[in-house]
Amino acid sequence: MENKQFIAISKRFDIKNVGKVTGKEIYASDVNIPGMMHAVVLRSPYPHAEIKSIDLTEAEKTGAICISRDDVPDLIYNERIVSIPDKTYKDRTVLPKDKVRHTGEAVAAVAADTEETAFKALEKIKVEYKKLPAVFDIDEAMKPDTSQLYSYVYLGDKKIDIENNIACVRNISVSDIDKGFEEADVIVEETFNVQRIYHMQLETKSTVCVPEADGGITIWTTTQGIHNVRILLGEIFNIPLHKINVKRITLGGSFGSSIQMNSITPICVALALKAKSPVKLVMPREDDIYDHASYPLRTKIKIGAKKDGTLTAGHCKVWVEIGAHNIQAYPYLGCIAGWFASLYKWINIKYEGKAVYTNKTPTCARRGYGSPQINFPVENAMDILAEKLGMDPIELRLKNYVGKGDEFWGQGPTIKSIIRSCGVEEMLVEGSKLIGWDKRIPPSEKTGDIRRGIGVARGFHTSGTGGPNPGEVIDYSGATVKINEDGSVDVVTALMDHGGGTWDVAAKVAAEVLKVPFDKVGIYNGVDTRTTVFDVNTHATRGVYCGCGAVKLAAEKVKKILLNYAATLFKDLPENLELVCNEELGQAVVYPKGLPEKYKTVGEIAKTAQIKSWGTIAYTSSLRQKNCPPCFITYFTEVEVNTKTGQIKIPRVIMMGDSGTIMNPELWKGQIIGAFSQGIGLGYIEEIPYDTNTGKLKCNGFITDFKVLTTTEMPKIDDIKVLPAHTYEPTGPFGAKGIGEAALSAVASSFGNAVYNAVGIRFYDLPITPEKMLKALKEKEEKKDKKE
Amino acid sequence: MQTDTKILAHEFEYLTPNTLNEALDMLDRYQDKNAKILAGGTDLLVKMKTINLKPDYIINIKNIQEINFITYNDDGLKIGAVTSLSQVEKSKEVKAKYSALYEAIKSMAAIAVRNMGTIAGNLCNASPAADTAPPLIAYGAEVKLANKRGERAVPVEEFLTGPGKTVISSNELLTQLNIPVLDENTGSSFLKIGRVKADIAKINIAVYLERKNNVCKSCKIVFGSVAKTPIRVKGAEDILRGQQLTSDVLTKVAEKASEEIKPITDIRSTAEYRHEIAKVMVEKAVNLAWERAGD
Repeated sequence: MENKQFIAISKRFDIKNVGKVTGKEIYASDVNIPGMMHAVVLRSPYPHAEIKSIDLTEAEKTGAICISRDDVPDLIYNERIVSIPDKTYKDRTVLPKDKVRHTGEAVAAVAADTEETAFKALEKIKVEYKKLPAVFDIDEAMKPDTSQLYSYVYLGDKKIDIENNIACVRNISVSDIDKGFEEADVIVEETFNVQRIYHMQLETKSTVCVPEADGGITIWTTTQGIHNVRILLGEIFNIPLHKINVKRITLGGSFGSSIQMNSITPICVALALKAKSPVKLVMPREDDIYDHASYPLRTKIKIGAKKDGTLTAGHCKVWVEIGAHNIQAYPYLGCIAGWFASLYKWINIKYEGKAVYTNKTPTCARRGYGSPQINFPVENAMDILAEKLGMDPIELRLKNYVGKGDEFWGQGPTIKSIIRSCGVEEMLVEGSKLIGWDKRIPPSEKTGDIRRGIGVARGFHTSGTGGPNPGEVIDYSGATVKINEDGSVDVVTALMDHGGGTWDVAAKVAAEVLKVPFDKVGIYNGVDTRTTVFDVNTHATRGVYCGCGAVKLAAEKVKKILLNYAATLFKDLPENLELVCNEELGQAVVYPKGLPEKYKTVGEIAKTAQIKSWGTIAYTSSLRQKNCPPCFITYFTEVEVNTKTGQIKIPRVIMMGDSGTIMNPELWKGQIIGAFSQGIGLGYIEEIPYDTNTGKLKCNGFITDFKVLTTTEMPKIDDIKVLPAHTYEPTGPFGAKGIGEAALSAVASSFGNAVYNAVGIRFYDLPITPEKMLKALKEKEEKKDKKE
Repeated sequence: MQTDTKILAHEFEYLTPNTLNEALDMLDRYQDKNAKILAGGTDLLVKMKTINLKPDYIINIKNIQEINFITYNDDGLKIGAVTSLSQVEKSKEVKAKYSALYEAIKSMAAIAVRNMGTIAGNLCNASPAADTAPPLIAYGAEVKLANKRGERAVPVEEFLTGPGKTVISSNELLTQLNIPVLDENTGSSFLKIGRVKADIAKINIAVYLERKNNVCKSCKIVFGSVAKTPIRVKGAEDILRGQQLTSDVLTKVAEKASEEIKPITDIRSTAEYRHEIAKVMVEKAVNLAWERAGD
């Protein structure tokens, strides 16, 4: 571990995004352009129907601008272009051309002077549908005689047939699975279900589009990556990229739901182009809920171990019900294989994955990209195995975890790297002491109406999708770092900040390299696809490791230029100079080694460079990281089950995170605590069921009936402990890895294991609602009575 | 169904009477013209946005000071129709004497909603899950309904007739709530189970009982969200009345109560769960009211 004195990193600073806490921050929905029109979207009332006709006449008579299938390009695309083109499935157009495939699918859109007048015009649009049989269940969908959503889609440029609604398949094998199970003394085989839920990001998807005089467009939109939006809009509308400018604007939450270009973005563009006027389109919450959901997962897991707890085999069969569009379930299936393979040393692995279309809201990535979904079956199965072996669950994990020196699958089977920093053991050992693991008793010894239990689960996420070899995922970032004429620094990057403080880290990294005080580094909006170089997307927990890695590279180059200029001034060589932070002066200073009193401030050097016309001290980097180090997490969760009501409380939790060097300690903790709340929501109450008669969500798209947990349901602040592992990632900027998605991966699993420890009931389907709990408790009682 | 909950696209006439007479005049005039009363708007506006309720006239009664009050004297507790839930929550008398009502309001939604919403609105909205209804029924509260020609008093228990349905006529305004003075040796309680803290009830319950010489002299047990209206479980009340509070009695009360309710399965919970949980809640709520009644 590198022991270093930092000037900005690991320290607590006021955040750069001051607007967020003062209410002054501008989000896409706040952007107002003179003459701007407001748009609304007409959505399908049916889950599956042929569009016979769309009549816009009456709506257009009101003076509104309307678009439907004839007004949008024919191009079939995938809204998520993070994977390489050859591995990208394409099944959609801007608006559906022939039929609607889920309730709430956009069919037409209207722009008018106000949202109210647009909405009134919208009510005059007449759509004639021919209802088709709809399918909501994954097994039903795969039957040969079931109604088909698609007859064909495209994989890259290749047309491929779709049969039995199977969107894509992914099978992976390592070594010999049969041999692995032959060697096993104990086998656990179970089926688990993790439900689809809604992301419930604060900001609903929004876009503002200005059609420019030269035929170009300017866009403000909710996105995790401005460059991919630009590239995709260029393809769809056949506009050269230099004429498309996507502005970076603060994201009001996403949780993965804006990795892809949002469905309303090209709709807004089409409206603006037709209207020849700026158009704003902000989704109401109900449209947003009908727009995207997280991928669910059904897992049939089979694992084997020798008597001493050494694992011998792991076999996973997974099915994902993706809804009406394939927003890249193929890499999702790959990633699940990777998360599975990288949790424990199964030695022999077999993985079979299937993604299946249904007439539900399309699913997409949500924090963890399948990791919470596969972690739940694996970490539950590990506890079941430990019990069968008569072994402590922590001991079993310590014996088999994938750690330092092992191979990590950062993004499915094609992006792998060697683990160089790992706090798994420290977290399991220290965490168990803090929770009092040795005092944990089996459920059979518990009595009373209120029963407590402790559960452990561990997980991780990749930090980015880089690796020594190129794979199926595009991964590089860029940044421009510039020393201004007074010695202050600008960091210009397309990197997005989800709220975890990624921009703060970018500023800290530049400050650290250039020895400039943190408050002299600026990172602001106002940059866009024209002024920044490509950054693939802020996803895959890559903001710090990859995005800020690029900032570090640029800052190091800038440092070289700076020292060259300084050498000219000192009439010395750059290598004979020292760059340090002078806190008294509030400036970085340069001096000849050994002669600190002879310093010149960076401000003086930059000013001289300007006056003497030497040029700007700036550099633009582009960086692909060569690794994808896992950031690890471990939760020790205590639950309290009320056996009379089935309600579950969380009295206490120990959260241990391994992010290497922690850049923003407070925000790091915040990310973990937030993820815990989200994860308990997944474990305990969140779900978005459908009325299969109507094809509508039972909540009708309203959050009145889609509940998420709030601070009220969290443990008291004194009962939450968040602690870091003491690690240093040698390939990361200043030793750092990520945290964002890792934090969610194991929460619901630790919850499930804790519930088992409390009441002795294993739940295989999430969420574990009070209704399910009470029913299960009753069934257990009845079984017990029968035995007696 | 197409909605846009960000806006109210529908146009309506917006009326803001400043006196009760003005309001009753307007109601008289617009009674057949699809008029709706706006007090707090926490239900009305939501319905306009989510289920396309399209009133032609909205009569905002919030400015009528005559019906903005909360008083307590020998006659009991009186609450005006536009008095906010927060105002009631902050009343010392309510907190000290009407525990079930206080707890019911505390359990409702979030502070911002309680600052706008009213008890009168909660009753007129007539949700089977309305949190203020069970305590008001348990206390034997009455609502005062006025029209241009006069007024009448109706017990809350008879006021609610079904989901979204009450006995109020389209020219009438609920102007006031009267809650009787509570006898000595009485106690009340309210319990609620929701999916999360700020939620509509999966099930709620209010109990009001009189305890004398360690015997339950009288009692009312009222459930919400388990039938078409909040309901009293009279069979369970009969079992408890005249008895000492033993665990045996309590179990019988609980079993009977669970038999009497008629819950359904909906998005918030299942009929099965509601039946089960009703027993637990009765026991807990009766115990709590019993303790509070002292002796």
